[in-house]
Amino acid sequence: MMKKFNRPKSYQMHRIGATVAFALFMAGCASTPSVPAPTEQMAVSRAAVNNASSAGGNEFAPLEFKSAMEKMDAAERAMGEKNYARAKLLAEEALVDAKLAEAAARSAKARKAAEALQEDNRVLRKEIDRKTK
Amino acid sequence: MKKNLYFPMTMTMTMTMTMTMTMTMTMIAVAVLSGCATSAPPQNPSLTAAHSSYDSARSNPQVTNLAALELKEAGDTLSKADDAFSKGQGTAAVDHLAYIANQQVGIAQETAKRKTAELAVANAGAKRTEVRLEARTAEADAAKQKADMAKQEADAAKQEADAAKQEADAAKRQVATAKENAELQAADLAAADAELAAADAQAQRDQALIEQQERQLKELNAKKTERGMVITLGDVLFRTDKARLESGGMRNVQKLADFLKQYPQHKVLVEGFTDSTGSDSYNQELSDRRANAVRMALIDMGISSDRVTTHGYGEAFPVGGNDTAAGRQSNRRVEIIISDSKGNIAPR
Repeated sequence: MMKKFNRPKSYQMHRIGATVAFALFMAGCASTPSVPAPTEQMAVSRAAVNNASSAGGNEFAPLEFKSAMEKMDAAERAMGEKNYARAKLLAEEALVDAKLAEAAARSAKARKAAEALQEDNRVLRKEIDRKTK
Repeated sequence: MKKNLYFPMTMTMTMTMTMTMTMTMTMIAVAVLSGCATSAPPQNPSLTAAHSSYDSARSNPQVTNLAALELKEAGDTLSKADDAFSKGQGTAAVDHLAYIANQQVGIAQETAKRKTAELAVANAGAKRTEVRLEARTAEADAAKQKADMAKQEADAAKQEADAAKQEADAAKRQVATAKENAELQAADLAAADAELAAADAQAQRDQALIEQQERQLKELNAKKTERGMVITLGDVLFRTDKARLESGGMRNVQKLADFLKQYPQHKVLVEGFTDSTGSDSYNQELSDRRANAVRMALIDMGISSDRVTTHGYGEAFPVGGNDTAAGRQSNRRVEIIISDSKGNIAPR
């Protein structure tokens, strides 16, 4: 793609290119072009937030979970305002926040379980050591 | 893959920047790529931060091993962010992608942590079994130790008991010895008593013997004289002028022989006497012969010849007057002197 742009060398082409570039530049800085409603993204993100909630994200990863909730709410509001581009961004971020909250909650639970077992083993060993003394 | 494209793209971009003066088309391309960010700083802080956290996660073997998929997602998003940044797609878009990439790195890290913990849980089960096994082993060892100790104690107790038993035995032996000694003493006493009794019995027997002897001597018509017991065989027991014993004399000699057999320690001296009738030599010879006749009779009855000695005295030592017949008769006699128990006879 770039090479195609680099290759032409005629002045005519330069002028045309500059015009195109300007148009593109303007287009880039212009307000969001019409974006379809991110219904699917919203559903996926909502489900992720629900999953995070049932995984105990609120308890084990409160910051991430709170962020996911807030972004989801904001996304819903943007949807209501028909600001779909914003809604999509927020929903995407809410999705990773929720997923992180869920992952953190699950890892925290697993670590708790592992620690409990290790503690059990430690107690058991202590008990044995005490018994055998 | 996209990540690999990042550097070449950047290089290409900078190279084209240097050639902007001469190549307007390149300018166009730059304009297209950078979008609104013509005046944007060369680096996006959130993108840099995302890269840094991604790099740190990638250098963690736990994450690369256990959360490879999650890490790849983060890498993909990061490439998109880089792409967006290099294409100049506005700070908001880059920040958005960088944020997502950063969170995805977090997800990868949490996933790795969770799986590590889950492995630990699985291992804990095995570890618990191991510890339990150790516990059983330790318990068994302890039980064995206890048993050994109990055995040692029992052995010690047994030794003590043995020692006590030995002491008891020793005491018992001492008691037995003492008892034995007492018994011995008692036996000694008893023996002494018995000896005394035996001595008494002996004395009684001796007494009896003496009495019997005396009775027998009395039967022999023995008379007690200074020289001992003397038996006198009178003239009537011999034929006149003969040295041959009459049957009555023989009976007396037989009694004497029986006596001598009963008391072998006694000896006898047979002395012959006559009256004064006849010549001295004849009387001497007659007294010899008569004494000898008694001796021969005793020898015939089984008395040893060395126990009987004879002596003829002729008409010497008369016991009566030779002037009367009765006197002469009493002078014709044989006297038998019985020795003491040692065989001694007092000489005349």
